[in-house]
Amino acid sequence: MIRNFFKIALRNLLRNKAFSFINISGLAIGMAATTLIILWIQNEVSYDQFHEKKDRIYEAWNRAVFSGKLQCWNTTPKILARTTEKDVPEVERAVRVNWPSNFLFSVGEKRLTVTGNIVDTGFLQVFSFPLLKGDPKTALNNGSPILLTETLAKKLFADDNAMGKVIKIDNKDNFTVTGILKDLPNNTRFKFEYLLPWQYLSKRGEDDSTWGNNSTRTYVLLKQNASFASANSKIKGTKVKYDKDEDPKWEMFLYPISRWRLYSNFTNGKEDGGLIEFVRLFAIIAAFILLIACINFMNLTTARSEKRAKEVGIRKCVGAQKRSLVVQFIGESILLAFIGGLIAIFILYISLPPFGELTDKKLFIDYANPIFWLLGLGFIILTGVIAGSYPAFFLSSFNPSTVLKGTFKAANALITPRKLLVVLQFTFAIILIICTSIVKQQIDHAQGRQTGYAKDNLVYHHLTGDLEKNYQLVKNELLSSGVAKAVTKTGSPLTQGWSDSWGFEWQGKDPNDKTDFDRFCADENLGNTAGLTFVKGRDFDLKSFPTDSSGVILNESAAKAMNLKDPIGQIVKDDHVEYHVVGIIKDFILQSPYYPTKPMIIEGAKANWFNIIHFKLNGANSTADNLKKAEAIFKKYNPQYPFEYNFVDEEYAQKFKSEKRTGTLAALFAALTIFISCLGLFGLATYMAENRVKEIGVRKALGASVTGITALLSKDFLKLVMISFLVACPIAWWMMHEWLQKYPYRVSIQWSVFVFAGCLSFLISLFTVSYQSIKAAIVSPVKSLRTE
Amino acid sequence: MIKITDLEKIYRTEEVETVALNKLSLEVKEGEFVAIMGPSGCGKSTLLNIVGLLDDPDSGSFKFNGIEVAKFNERKRADLRKRNIGFVFQSFNLIDELTVFENVELPLIYTGVKSSERKKRVEEVLDKMQIMHRRNHYPQQLSGGQQQRVAVARAVVNRPKLILADEPTGNLDSHNGNEVMQLLTDLNEQGTTIVMVTHSEHDARYSHRIVRMLDGQTVLENIMV
Repeated sequence: MIRNFFKIALRNLLRNKAFSFINISGLAIGMAATTLIILWIQNEVSYDQFHEKKDRIYEAWNRAVFSGKLQCWNTTPKILARTTEKDVPEVERAVRVNWPSNFLFSVGEKRLTVTGNIVDTGFLQVFSFPLLKGDPKTALNNGSPILLTETLAKKLFADDNAMGKVIKIDNKDNFTVTGILKDLPNNTRFKFEYLLPWQYLSKRGEDDSTWGNNSTRTYVLLKQNASFASANSKIKGTKVKYDKDEDPKWEMFLYPISRWRLYSNFTNGKEDGGLIEFVRLFAIIAAFILLIACINFMNLTTARSEKRAKEVGIRKCVGAQKRSLVVQFIGESILLAFIGGLIAIFILYISLPPFGELTDKKLFIDYANPIFWLLGLGFIILTGVIAGSYPAFFLSSFNPSTVLKGTFKAANALITPRKLLVVLQFTFAIILIICTSIVKQQIDHAQGRQTGYAKDNLVYHHLTGDLEKNYQLVKNELLSSGVAKAVTKTGSPLTQGWSDSWGFEWQGKDPNDKTDFDRFCADENLGNTAGLTFVKGRDFDLKSFPTDSSGVILNESAAKAMNLKDPIGQIVKDDHVEYHVVGIIKDFILQSPYYPTKPMIIEGAKANWFNIIHFKLNGANSTADNLKKAEAIFKKYNPQYPFEYNFVDEEYAQKFKSEKRTGTLAALFAALTIFISCLGLFGLATYMAENRVKEIGVRKALGASVTGITALLSKDFLKLVMISFLVACPIAWWMMHEWLQKYPYRVSIQWSVFVFAGCLSFLISLFTVSYQSIKAAIVSPVKSLRTE
Repeated sequence: MIKITDLEKIYRTEEVETVALNKLSLEVKEGEFVAIMGPSGCGKSTLLNIVGLLDDPDSGSFKFNGIEVAKFNERKRADLRKRNIGFVFQSFNLIDELTVFENVELPLIYTGVKSSERKKRVEEVLDKMQIMHRRNHYPQQLSGGQQQRVAVARAVVNRPKLILADEPTGNLDSHNGNEVMQLLTDLNEQGTTIVMVTHSEHDARYSHRIVRMLDGQTVLENIMV
């Protein structure tokens, strides 16, 4: 019997090539798109779930009130780890992981700037990053050890065995390779190429044991069978216990590894979603794309039901039961899904790398793994069953006595499941079009926002190696050679905030005021270099005013927050160091272009935590020329280090990366949905045109025009698109309204977006349907009536 | 074999109610060849569908081989149908996607006959209907007469006790029509009961008895000599 089913399915498939093509391609694209999204979801939900001790690993977090809001964050004092090990008996181990550091690695003549972490020695006993060589228990313990990833080891030592070899870091400190780490998987929050022991931080003078400096991450491994609740309650009061000055309500808590990636958004001290919202949204989109492809199959199969009705009747006459017919039709859809599945694998193979690039993930499929093929087969069968279920029950329920008379006509009711399904497809497509447009508008809106400084031709470079020592020489030569118009050194790049504090003091400050200020520092000429606008006072100018080294520049928000009536000359203290206000600037965007600018204090040269040199290139020369000369100057004064410059405008553009990605993905999904839906619409239009041949002939014989008939045939479909539009608008509005809430600086939703989405979907569907309508309308009535 | 008493079937739409069978009673004995005649809309085909277990009556009794089947569910009807009844239609109703051989083989598949046995029986019946040489052709490649012979072959391949023919010659010329009638007569002589709906007095003469219907009731019976 199966052979008979298979035979008839295959012959049907070959005989109705257009139908088969539409169904198979729709299912293939749908399955491929869904699989891509599933791979993305799988990657997200598996983040850091490979650690053997994952059930016992936690991160230490703080919860305290700032600016009137209960806030949570995960940077802790460096001393917390040791204190926790001592104070909380449930803790087996606590390890610190410092911010990623970029160091210059030298091996012979080879020099590389590499990113990695400085960690406590127990790091590898907590987290499962396997060593290909070396002993994870001791590798970071003695001497000056360093662990390299396999890839970095190859970069530095080619094919030589790296173990035991010496690497010079930042031109001064030698480390011996004591272990080779397997390259990190693509689903971990850690992104290091090397691991250095914590002692190195102490050696660099960057370690501290104060409770006021929240500057590192602390991970805690609980003992086996230890109670989390008990450990959590013991760690809760740690900060207050050791930092008597702090708010007695300040809490610390342990946050489990299973929630780091997907749930770590906190609002008013409570978990409030996070990436999990994207995961859910993507899951819904994946399900819908697959469903839309399945709907094509359902619609085209049921539209063609008249053709299959006779077969159903005959089979029932000769003894087929409904069940066997259901099995047969579902079998047919599984066969189609199988062919679609094979094509989907090919599409996946081609589209995985660009999709990975788009989502900024290294996604891959292990084709050699039988599990992949088993899951794939299961997925294909599931798709076949979803697509085939409704047609199978629809077709198998035909009454043989009706269909075999030859007078059977499928019902053309006002509301049919087929029409509902088309409405469902287009509703989803139109929602995605509207979302894409609004996401794009929001990005444009934020991109068009005044940054408050001139980004063009502005370059920055880290003060690596001898640059800080030779800063004045470099600056002079950049200016005298005509490469730069202005030069300044700062604490952080203009596009990044590296420091903030609620500890500033000024005259008249309310003791309970915990306003958080961005902290920045600059030597002089910041205004000139960055093109800042001064509303009062002036820029730092050490030549004319040597006391400017202890000056500060405030932005307007800071002056307002401090409520200073006549700010120039007022004293502002940072950790008891006194500064005097020399100027007030208009706010500029230091961090997110979607958020209001924060109050900001720019400290003068006395602050002395310079890390960056900014210089404004001379627009009279070509950029290439300027950079070439600049490189020569940097090499001259800092020969050991590579010239690694950054354009501020390019880095500013990075701030839109995540939203742009969202926008591109929404556009991609919208395009796919529209495409698959239109494939189905095209198929339906084809059958509609076939079925109405006689009607068209009669109408034409009675004098109807080609335009009139095209309009008549297209009308029914366009009505469905119109209904979809009406359903989609409020849903899309609600979704986008919710999405925009997370951006304080946001676009307002314009009605024109809806008009655009409506017109676009209307035009696309008109184009899809009219081909068949016009084709049917221009046939001579003689020919169409002869078919009777 | 068939005993129908007070059978009723009413078709309802939102506006119209059509009585197709109105307290109809009829008996067909095993081995009989009965022709049912009457004007269009008198309920002939409805009766045939109910006898063929393709449709169920609204009320009344229908006994097949002494068993009451009027209230059988779909599964039981399908089971009874495939073991006992063969159908021949005016419009042949062959499956376009299957070859002659595969069309004839279909009923045997549903009754679970083994592949080798199926082949033997299909070839036997195709031979008997003289269309063996067309076994690998598709229905569209055959003439009307040939298609109806395939349909008859399909109806008899399962060796049913009863053949129901709904205007079997309606789409055929007189030569092919006579051939099909002869085939049915031969089958009847070999013991198969035949109930045939027809408009043709000529075809009806092949039967033992003509039942005439009007407005859902039998109005006259002619015994053929």
